[in-house]
Amino acid sequence: MNGSSLHRIRLQRGTALAVRVGAEIRPDEVIGLRREPLAPILVPVARPLRRKPDEIAEAMRVRPGSRVRAGEVLARINGHEVAAPQTGLVLGVSRGDGSILLAPLGPEEPVIGHVRGRVHAIEENALVVEVPAATVTGVGGSGDAVHGELVVGVHNPEDELRAAAIDVGATGKILVGGSRASAEALTRARAMGVAGIVLGGVLDKELRDFEAIQRRRREAGGMTGSFGLLLLEGFGKVGIDPQLFSWFRAHAGRMASLFGADGLLYIYDAGSAPTRRPLPRVGDRIVAHRRPFQGRGGVVVALLEDLHATSSGIPTSMALVRFEDGRLAPVPLANIEATVAPDGR
Amino acid sequence: MRASQRSAAALPTTTEVSMLVDNGSAWTKGAVVGRSRGRWRIAAHAAQPSSWQDADLVAGLAAHLGGHADPRVSERLQRILADAPRISCHTPSRPGRLALAAVSADLSGRAARRAAESAGWVVAEAATVDDGRSAAERLVALQAAEVDAWLLAGGFDAEGGEMALDMAGLVAAARGDGRSPVVWAGSAQLAARVASLFEPGAVRAVANPRPSPEREEPLPLRRYLEALLERLVEPGGARQLAPVGFGRAVAELARASQLRIAGVDLGARYATWIAADEGGHAESRILASGGLASPSITVPGGPARIAHALPIAIDELAVADALQNLRARPGALPQTEEELSIVHGAARALLAELAADESVPDGADLLIGAGRTVAGAPRPAQAMQLLLDGVRPLGVTQLAIDVAGVLPPLGALGNDEIAEGIGTLRDDLLTPLGAAVVSQGGRAGHVAFRVTVHRVGWPSLGPIEVRAGQLTLLPLGRGQVAELEIELESGVTIGTPRRARRSHATVSGGVVGLALDARDVPLVLPRRTDDRRAVLAAWRDALQREPTRPAGSAA
Repeated sequence: MNGSSLHRIRLQRGTALAVRVGAEIRPDEVIGLRREPLAPILVPVARPLRRKPDEIAEAMRVRPGSRVRAGEVLARINGHEVAAPQTGLVLGVSRGDGSILLAPLGPEEPVIGHVRGRVHAIEENALVVEVPAATVTGVGGSGDAVHGELVVGVHNPEDELRAAAIDVGATGKILVGGSRASAEALTRARAMGVAGIVLGGVLDKELRDFEAIQRRRREAGGMTGSFGLLLLEGFGKVGIDPQLFSWFRAHAGRMASLFGADGLLYIYDAGSAPTRRPLPRVGDRIVAHRRPFQGRGGVVVALLEDLHATSSGIPTSMALVRFEDGRLAPVPLANIEATVAPDGR
Repeated sequence: MRASQRSAAALPTTTEVSMLVDNGSAWTKGAVVGRSRGRWRIAAHAAQPSSWQDADLVAGLAAHLGGHADPRVSERLQRILADAPRISCHTPSRPGRLALAAVSADLSGRAARRAAESAGWVVAEAATVDDGRSAAERLVALQAAEVDAWLLAGGFDAEGGEMALDMAGLVAAARGDGRSPVVWAGSAQLAARVASLFEPGAVRAVANPRPSPEREEPLPLRRYLEALLERLVEPGGARQLAPVGFGRAVAELARASQLRIAGVDLGARYATWIAADEGGHAESRILASGGLASPSITVPGGPARIAHALPIAIDELAVADALQNLRARPGALPQTEEELSIVHGAARALLAELAADESVPDGADLLIGAGRTVAGAPRPAQAMQLLLDGVRPLGVTQLAIDVAGVLPPLGALGNDEIAEGIGTLRDDLLTPLGAAVVSQGGRAGHVAFRVTVHRVGWPSLGPIEVRAGQLTLLPLGRGQVAELEIELESGVTIGTPRRARRSHATVSGGVVGLALDARDVPLVLPRRTDDRRAVLAAWRDALQREPTRPAGSAA
C-alpha cells in the first residue's frame, strides 16, 4: 500500500499525551509522558487516625485506582489526616491492617511514536496518525516499534544475513536482510544497536531462541534500546521477492518506521512499493507461499481448466508457473499472489 | 477450490435459486440451492480464499453449474447467481479481548478463563496472585492490555477472600478512568465491596464459577460473557456469526431428527463445539483462538506434540515452520503430503482439546465435522480419521461432514425460518461417512470386543474380533443399514450406562464404511518412535484402504 495510511499507536493507560489532533509529528518526537508504577508501599492509615483497621472506610478520601500526588490527603477524620508520601497509584485499602497500598510512580519517561505524520484522532488509549509513506506489510514480526534509516545488508534476496556482516555501520538503522538470519545474527544485530531487521523468512526455532535470549537479558537488566523484526514472506528459509528487494535497494538511505508486532514497515519520501494481488492471471509475475515453492518467484503461463489434485491430494484450481530457476510446475492458485510493480507491471 | 466436487443438479428454467455463503476468516464457502423437479437441492458448492473477490466465487459456481444447467439460462448463470437471494454468515471480524485478574491460576483463574474462552473471548492478559510477578509488574501488564472488558474472579462464596479484593484494586488502578465494563465473578460476599472500587454501574456481578474448592459452575458466567460479547463486539448481529449459526443449525437438526448430535467446526481462527439433545437444547463452546491459525498450536511444546503424533518422520523444526506458515497464510493450501500430514496432525490435536472439556457429554448419535480441514479433507477416510482420532466419540456413533459448508449460513436464518431451511435441504446437508464403534479400556493385544453385523438381504458378518489398539474398517455403503451385535470383553466399555457385556445398535453406512475402533479413549501411543510411527501408519492405512470383509467371514 502506498500514499498515506492511518496508523494507530497504542498508548499504555496512564500516558499523558503531549500532542493534539492536527499536530505534525516526527518519528523521534515525544508524543507523551508516562510514569511506570514501582513496587507498592504500605501507607499506615488506622494508627495515625486513631481508628481500628476496620473503621477507616469512612475516613478514606481515595479509592483503588486513584492517582494521588505527594502530600495529597488520602484519609481524614476528626482533624486527623494521612497524606500520600509519594506521587502514586492507590492499589488497595486493607481492612486487615488499616493501611493503603500505594504504587509510587517512577520518573517521567518519554513516549516516542516512531512515525512521521499528522495526528488524525485521539482515542481511548490510542493515537491515530496519518502517515504519508510507502507501506510494506509482512506476515508477522516481533519486538518493539523502531525507526531508522533503511539499509540493505545482503547482495541478493536469497542470501542469508550473516552475523559477521553486521557491524557498527548498521547502528540505529533498519537492516534489510535476505532469506534468513540465525539467532546469533539477530543477537549480534541487537547488541550492535541495529534498530530493526527486515527478513524474507526466519526459522521458528531461531526466532524463539533469539526471543529467549532477549528475555533472559531483560530479566538480568542488561538490555538497552529497542529492536524490531519484520517477517515478509513466511517461516523457514524464504527469500524476499526480487522485485521488492530491488525496491528496497532503490530506497536505501530513506527514513523508515518498523512495527514488528503489527507486521508493518513505513518508508518515507519513497515512491510506491510493489504490491500483491490475489488470484493471478496469465502473464503475471507471482510469488509462491507454500512448499515446495515457498518464496520463489515466477510467471503464470497458463490457468488449468477444471480441478487438479495437488500432491497432497486436494483437488483445486491450478496455475502453471514458470519459476525463475526454469522449472515449470502446477501450483494451486490459492498458494500464489501476483506481484505488481509500482508502475502497474 | 473454485469448483465443486459434487454432482450438480440441473437448474430449472424458472431459476429459483438462492446462495448460502459463509465468509470465513481464511476461506469463503458458497453453495447454490436450486429447485429441481419440485425439490430444493444443493446444486453446487465451492470454496475459495477469502482474499478473492465475491465475483470469483460466483464465477466458480456458475462454471460448475454451466455444464448441467438448462441451455436457456446457462449463459446468464453468473448474473442469476449474483442476483440470487443470499443467506450469509461470517466469522467475527475480531474476537472480544478481556483482561483476567484472579487469585489463583489453578482455581478461580482457571474456571474464569475456561468460561471466557468457551464464550468466544480471548484472554489478552491474565494476572493472578501466584503468577510469579510483582504487583508492579502485574499492574504494568494490565495497563498495557488492550481489552474490551475486565473479568475479576476469586474467593469462594462461603469465605469471601481479601486477596480477591487486592486483585480488584489492581484492576481499578490499571483501568483508570477507562469505560470498559468490569465483570465480577468471584465470592458473592465481596460483590458490593468490589463494585465500590469502580464508578457506579461499571461492575456487573455474575455467579462465581468456582463457588467452592471442589465445585466448578462456569455456565452462568459463560452465558453472561456470550451476551456481553454480542453487545460489545457484534451488536445486533450475533445470528450472522458463523460459530453461532453452526450451533443453531446443529441444534435444529437434533430437534428435527430426534437425535443427540455433536458438531465440531474447525476453522482458521475459531473452533466451535456444540452438543445438542433430541429436544434441540444445546451447549456450545466457541473458542476464538481454537482454530488452525491460532497461536495455541505454535506455543512452545506445540510443534513437538504434533510431530510426536505424525505417522511419518518429519523434523520438529519443519513442523514448527509449517505451523507458523499456516498461521501466517491460512488461506493457502497444504500442497505436499508432508504439509497435509502436519495440518491434519494439528487438527487432531485441536479437536482433542476441544472435545476434552468435561462439559461434553459422551454418547452422541451423530458427530458432524465442519470446516475446510475436516469437511474438505482430500479423502473422506481422512475426515473420518480426524474425527475419530480427535474427538474419540465413545460408543456407537454415526459420522458425517458438512462438505458444502451450509450449516453456518442456514443457522443464520431467523427463528421462524430455520426449521424450514434445515428441513428443506435435509437430505443434502451432510455427507455421511459411516459409523464407528469406539471402545475404552482393554489389554493391549487382547480382544476388546466382538461385532456381528446383520444386514437385510445379506449374509451376516462376523463375529469379528477387534483387539485393543486395533482399528478395522468394514464395508457399509451409503444408505445401507446394519444391526450390530456387540460383545464386550471384561474391562472394556463403549459408554453404555449399564455394565452390560452385550449390546445392540443400528447403524447406517456412508462413503467410508463401518469403523471398529478399540484404540482406547484417549488414544494410547507407543513410546518408542519407530513403534509409534508404525502404529500410526497402520491406523491411517486401515481407514484409507478399500474396506474389506474380515478373513473367514461369510461372503
